Amino acid sequence: MIRNRVILLVEDNPNDVELTLRAFEKSNVSNEIVVAGDGEQAIHYLFKTGPHAGRDPKDMPEVVLLDMKLPKLDGLGVLRRIRADERTRRLPVVILTSSKEEKDVMSCYDFGANSFVRKPVDFGQFVDAARHLGIYWLVMNEPPPPGQQNGDGR
Amino acid sequence: MKPRILIVDDSLTVRMDLGEAFDLAGFMNTLCSSLSEAREVLLTGSFDLIILDVLLPDGDGIKFLQEIRTTPSTAGTPVMLLSSEAEVRDRVRGLNTGADDYVGKPYDQSYVVARARELLRKQKPASGSATSKTVLVIDDSPTFREELKSVLESSGYLVVTAGTGEDGLRAAVDTRPAVIVVDGMLPGIDGSTVIRRIRADAVLRSTPCILLTASEERSGELRALEAGADAYVRKEEDTQIILARVTAVLRSAGAPSTVASTSSLLGPKRILTVDDSLTYLHEVAAQLRDEGYDVVPARSGEEALELLSVQTVDCILLDLVMPGLSGQETCRRIKGSVAWRDIPLIMHTALEEQDSMIEGINAGADDYIAKSSDHEVLCARVRAQLRRKQFEDENRNIREQLLQKELEVVAANSARELAETRAAFVEELERKNSELEAFSYSVSHDLRAPLRSIDGFSQLLLQDNADKLAPKSQDYLRRVCEAARRMGELIDDLLSLSRVGRADLRRESVDLSSIARAAFEELQKKDPDRRVNLRVAEHLPAEADNGLMRVVFDNLLGNAWKFSAKVSEPRIEVGTDQQQGGTVFFVRDNGAGFDMSYAESLFRPFQRLHNESEFAGTGIGLATVHRVIDRHGGRIWASSAVGQGATFYFTVPPARPGGHQ
Repeated sequence: MIRNRVILLVEDNPNDVELTLRAFEKSNVSNEIVVAGDGEQAIHYLFKTGPHAGRDPKDMPEVVLLDMKLPKLDGLGVLRRIRADERTRRLPVVILTSSKEEKDVMSCYDFGANSFVRKPVDFGQFVDAARHLGIYWLVMNEPPPPGQQNGDGR
Repeated sequence: MKPRILIVDDSLTVRMDLGEAFDLAGFMNTLCSSLSEAREVLLTGSFDLIILDVLLPDGDGIKFLQEIRTTPSTAGTPVMLLSSEAEVRDRVRGLNTGADDYVGKPYDQSYVVARARELLRKQKPASGSATSKTVLVIDDSPTFREELKSVLESSGYLVVTAGTGEDGLRAAVDTRPAVIVVDGMLPGIDGSTVIRRIRADAVLRSTPCILLTASEERSGELRALEAGADAYVRKEEDTQIILARVTAVLRSAGAPSTVASTSSLLGPKRILTVDDSLTYLHEVAAQLRDEGYDVVPARSGEEALELLSVQTVDCILLDLVMPGLSGQETCRRIKGSVAWRDIPLIMHTALEEQDSMIEGINAGADDYIAKSSDHEVLCARVRAQLRRKQFEDENRNIREQLLQKELEVVAANSARELAETRAAFVEELERKNSELEAFSYSVSHDLRAPLRSIDGFSQLLLQDNADKLAPKSQDYLRRVCEAARRMGELIDDLLSLSRVGRADLRRESVDLSSIARAAFEELQKKDPDRRVNLRVAEHLPAEADNGLMRVVFDNLLGNAWKFSAKVSEPRIEVGTDQQQGGTVFFVRDNGAGFDMSYAESLFRPFQRLHNESEFAGTGIGLATVHRVIDRHGGRIWASSAVGQGATFYFTVPPARPGGHQ
């Protein structure tokens, strides 16, 4: 059964946003995809601040798809904030980016990324990747219990 | 501790005389009259210096010297030979056997003591603390000397005394005192003269001097200060005042700098006299010995040259007319030798003719003197030459020191410039490297994003509107996608080439055979339906970077895989050959091959030998392989013919120690 919580896509390039949405659509992932156009928006969304104040605090995304090159706060900055906060430190984060430079891959894992996927140039391969991500993170993967995630488990 | 000296001589007179002289000079003496006695003494005791007669009743002194030099316990002990032998041959033999000095009999007592001190100083360089506290007292009153000596000694000074100005100067050279206290009134040369001479001597000139003056003699004080005394004390004052002055002068004197290489003008001097007349030789030798010089007699020019090769002298007195080698020729040879040409040379001739003197001067003599001249004149000429030599030495020393300083400055400057240039290069290189890194980083990120859009939206157009698009339009869109994918590959390959050039080379023991198999498996996985016959030699060891060697095999096997696609039974072989005396690895296929006339351009980036429609590729793979092999210090080359497959050979030599990679 596919869990139906939202997927947070943090991506500034509208073309990539469109292609990603289409790729998930083509791979039959029907979860709502929330798009944050930069690192700051992503943080607002996750911590219910700014435009997202008043959002249901229990409503955490199933997985965060995070680009590395972002305006304002970049991908690694967002990742660091996620890992530093008790409410989000177990949230699955998948780095979805253009490069596979060794130093990028290493620093993402060092900061606690759960996975690192390079966006392929070939759209067919991109659709494949989206399908695999959907199956893995929305079906196969056992997410952290919501109570723990929200930090009220003790 | 007193220096111990062994004196071996069969003459009782010599033993008594030297024994007394060395005793007074503060040595501990052991006197032996025969070699057997000396042997016995040497078995039990050790000595700082041995003075050895050459002719002894029970044997040859030079043979004994040989024993001394070959016995480990005495091999390093300085030995001074003392002999009446006028024969130059004996002198040469003695010095060649390992004597440190050779003094002729009859000797000058103080000369022997002075030479002994010089030998000891050479043996162990005087330590600063020991010499810095030595005070030389020159006074003709034994009572006053003893009184001052005990006062100074009770304050921890070492005291050397002398009764005359002449003795005092000699003692100053020998002991290099830290301070000299000299009485103004002395028999012979007076105190001011002593100080003036000290000031004129290169070695001693910085030694502080205190002049003792009589109260009634006001002009004496003036003279003392004119002569360069650092302080004066009235003689009737308490000896404690003198002690205070000594301490004060020493405190303000600081560290005196001495030019060690310049020998003191007042030190012992050796003069080589060359004359075929034995009578005349004896006569001149006696005159010069009276002046305190050591005289080395030689009977001919040949003997003189032989002697100079084993013993240095301070001055040469050369007869002009001699059988055998003439005076002129001898002079020419001495002045033509780098080692000897600076020794002052005085031509000595019985002929009064001007011509012969001019001839002598032309041959390079520094001075000439007629044999008929008074011996006072002879001694004065010798003194003048010695003084001239001394000044020349000093000047040369100063020049050399200046030159040395200049050289040091130049060397320091060029070393600094070199270091600066190198630092600038390294900085530039690092800057270039980080620019390159930033460039490839942004290539990796930013150049791929637009390609993704091109390919992605083209595909979406194709998929969403397949029914609305004309077949030709669909074909165009496919071409767009293909071009975008190809550009993506190019970017990836270029990044790989650049990474291979920048990555650290980490050598380890690797098995190229397993690397090749892993690379092949990867190819098979991407194209599971193809059947290629692979043969890899077992165990191909190399000292290489594992990751970079994988890049090599990815590319070479990738090429072999690709270019053998169109043959019926594709074969790939990986192995080694022995070529040019070393191990050569190879990757061979039976595929399309290439025309060897293009082999040169094979390893250049973007260089392709096949049509894109025939075999796809970016033309960067072999350039990458070449760079990896190059970074390992190896070579890569290929051999092929169209339609007959290709073989790529490469070497991976072990790392050169300290070599840059």
